[in-house]
Amino acid sequence: MEALRVDSLSKDFGGVHALSSVSFSVGTGQRLVVIGPNGAGKTTLFNVINGQLSPTSGRVFFFEQDITNMPTHQRAHLGQARSFQIVSLFLNLTVLDNALIALHGTKPSRFQMFWPMNGYRNLMDEARKNLDAAMLWEKRDEIVKNLSHGEQRRLEIALSLAQNPKLLLLDEPSSGLTRDESSEVIGLIKNLGSKITVLIVDHDMNLVFGVADRIIVLHYGQVIADGTPEVIRDDPRVREIYMGMEECIDHVGVG
Amino acid sequence: MEVFGRNLLNGISFGMVLFLAGSGLSVVMGVMGITNLAHGALYMLGGYVGWTVAIHYGMNFWLAVFLGGLVSGLIGLTIERIFLRHLYKQPNEQVLLTFGFVYIITNLCIWIWGGRPRMQFSSPALSGLLDIFGMPYPITRLVIIAMGVIVAIVLWWLQDRTRIGAIIRAGMDDKEMTMGLGINLERVSMLVFFLAAFVAGVAGVVGAQLMGVHSILGLDILLVALIVVIVGGMGSVQGALSGGISIGLIDTFGKSLFPQFAMFTMYLAMVVILLVKPSGILGRRV
Amino acid sequence: MAARGSPLQDLITRFLPWIGAGVVLGILPALLPSYMQSIWTKFLIFAIFATSFDLIYGHAGLLSLGHAAFFGAGGYAVGVLMLHTGITSFWVGLPLGILVAVAIAVLFGFISLRVSGMYFLLVTFALAQLLYSVAWNWLWINSPGMQGIAGIPLPDLGIPSLEWNTIYFYYFVLIFFCICFYLVYRIMNSPFGYALRGIRESEIRMQALGYNTWLYKFIIFVVTGAFAGLAGVLFAYFNRLISPVYLGVGTSFLPMCMVIIGGSGTRIGPVIGAMVIIFVEYFSSLFTPERWPLILGGAFVVAIMYARGGIVIYLSRFWKQIGYRHGSIEG
Repeated sequence: MEALRVDSLSKDFGGVHALSSVSFSVGTGQRLVVIGPNGAGKTTLFNVINGQLSPTSGRVFFFEQDITNMPTHQRAHLGQARSFQIVSLFLNLTVLDNALIALHGTKPSRFQMFWPMNGYRNLMDEARKNLDAAMLWEKRDEIVKNLSHGEQRRLEIALSLAQNPKLLLLDEPSSGLTRDESSEVIGLIKNLGSKITVLIVDHDMNLVFGVADRIIVLHYGQVIADGTPEVIRDDPRVREIYMGMEECIDHVGVG
Repeated sequence: MEVFGRNLLNGISFGMVLFLAGSGLSVVMGVMGITNLAHGALYMLGGYVGWTVAIHYGMNFWLAVFLGGLVSGLIGLTIERIFLRHLYKQPNEQVLLTFGFVYIITNLCIWIWGGRPRMQFSSPALSGLLDIFGMPYPITRLVIIAMGVIVAIVLWWLQDRTRIGAIIRAGMDDKEMTMGLGINLERVSMLVFFLAAFVAGVAGVVGAQLMGVHSILGLDILLVALIVVIVGGMGSVQGALSGGISIGLIDTFGKSLFPQFAMFTMYLAMVVILLVKPSGILGRRV
Repeated sequence: MAARGSPLQDLITRFLPWIGAGVVLGILPALLPSYMQSIWTKFLIFAIFATSFDLIYGHAGLLSLGHAAFFGAGGYAVGVLMLHTGITSFWVGLPLGILVAVAIAVLFGFISLRVSGMYFLLVTFALAQLLYSVAWNWLWINSPGMQGIAGIPLPDLGIPSLEWNTIYFYYFVLIFFCICFYLVYRIMNSPFGYALRGIRESEIRMQALGYNTWLYKFIIFVVTGAFAGLAGVLFAYFNRLISPVYLGVGTSFLPMCMVIIGGSGTRIGPVIGAMVIIFVEYFSSLFTPERWPLILGGAFVVAIMYARGGIVIYLSRFWKQIGYRHGSIEG
């Protein structure tokens, strides 16, 4: 079964065609990376898949279910998770609070108004596992806005993994990171396992060619190339768009 | 037929006062992202100053209008420069701050002018009736309509046809970029804020011709101005104008047809808009 | 390394505030003259109002300018009950007051939450003023010949031997204060409370995590409306008079002031803020009653500009310093 299928998605913003008839599908366990110049519509695509925006036309299918008009929070319950391009953490709360809130999002006890959060032993254990994996457990009582950018990114990704999603949408996970930090992110993505499908938007060619099974290139809201990394590397249209990035692409190994 | 015509003109003239009172609030809200709850108090302050000039000192009415606007404009500018500027990106705190100023300005007005319930303010320069299609109609109201139209045109021109309007819009979307382009966003912000407060003060003097000046105006006019913003749509001169005229007409015809429900027609309009098109008649997004 | 004292000193530092509160709220009022006890009672009622308001402002981050609507509604319910049925039983007045406040909160919440941000603020303001207008004009809910309802007697608890006086009424209100404070405290620390703070920090992130943020906002709007209604019920019995002004924005402003000055998002901030405001109001009424709004507005502006964490921040720093000085460095 395909994890995700988008069918002729178009999104217009008063005359600007952010997306034009975008179609593709993603198999379960696949690592699909979407690249394209700024303004190509990548984040808009994510917003439509995750429900922050409604498409002007077209449909979105999640494991064969039509979710085109489903509100974002319900998509999370179906198994979607997402990280944001601009860090959207709970800045004035502690790292641990962030993790606990993230874990609770799909549990029925999230509406509970009387018994304290500390009482949920299982939740605390899960939070510990989650933060340990991101190497943030020692900093659990730190206020998030005091963390370094790299640590915030790690937390951002950790939060999106908190609910064992089926589909993970990572929007520019390496933005603002150093070389080493990016390598960490690449390693993390590679270790996610085959049960989770990952859709990534990014500009860092190391990351892109490091993790992708398949690459889609967007330009002015249209899909202009869709294939394996080798195919994309050699595609003349892609090279034309990324003129100047040619050297980048040449220097990067595949896989 | 004459009743209809009279109501129509009354509604439009009242609507013009509402437009004048609400335009500054709407533009500052939508374009600068600042909700200035003290806007009503600035209106009231303008009215009081205008009264002092025109009635107390017996000077020229238009001078009163100008001075009322000027004082309000300066006070508004002070609030922005000394206080609001430091609360950039904290909208809740900004709003609360301006609300604190409602109390301060209102109480200062009471201190200076006394807490008299209502002060009449009919300028002799505007008295008299004009014959319109056989119906005698107060010149005051006609002047108000004319003023509203003039101000609307000037503001609209500033908003859509000048660099200033474009700068403010750009600054709202991306402050760093705009400043990086060498544009003095601060100065333009100051100008817009001053202008909004100035118009509020002018509105206070003009509106006083219909409603007098009193110390509760700070909140009363704020409420009405807010309804105008909600109904017409935030952030544009056209929005404020459509909201003002709509509410003016609804209120006037409402009072004439259903006198027992006097105040409620305004609220009803607001609730209907919120349920049907929350962004307002000419508003863009919710 | 934080300085720590002996276990006994730790215990004292932890419990001293509670002991202090117990003395100040429980014992002190019994020793005060009657008019002072009234002021304390008023402070407690507004402390309930302010503490519940902080749930929606300090925790959920929603600024509602019309919360007095629910406060006044609770009070009016009590008044109308007495006016038209003669019932003065507290056990009817209280549930009725809360019910009416909740009903109005449901309606207003639904309308207000159609929009967000600045619009939300304006709508809550306008709706509260609408209620104010209704109260002003609707004859059925006014005592004949005046605005509002006068002559509300002290509550009938159904205890035959009980005769009210100021101190009994004070302790009566204190019970409710403790209950409300405790409930709000539980909500703050529950998953729901955490979710509210998450919504305040990043609503879009919360939605992506699976939280139906509209529902959370709606629920807390109604819950705080219920608490405000409770405070309004108590106020009606305290004040013996309810009038439209208690529905208006002037009354809505008070809990906002208290929360800002005392410290938003904290447990006792609103309570401290309530104490400060009610007492300054009292003293101002003795010397310059006409200038009270100016004082209030001025203090409020100063607090927003310079004392962001509220009084609580200063208190807690002060408290930590004390603990620091009396402790010994861990070696």
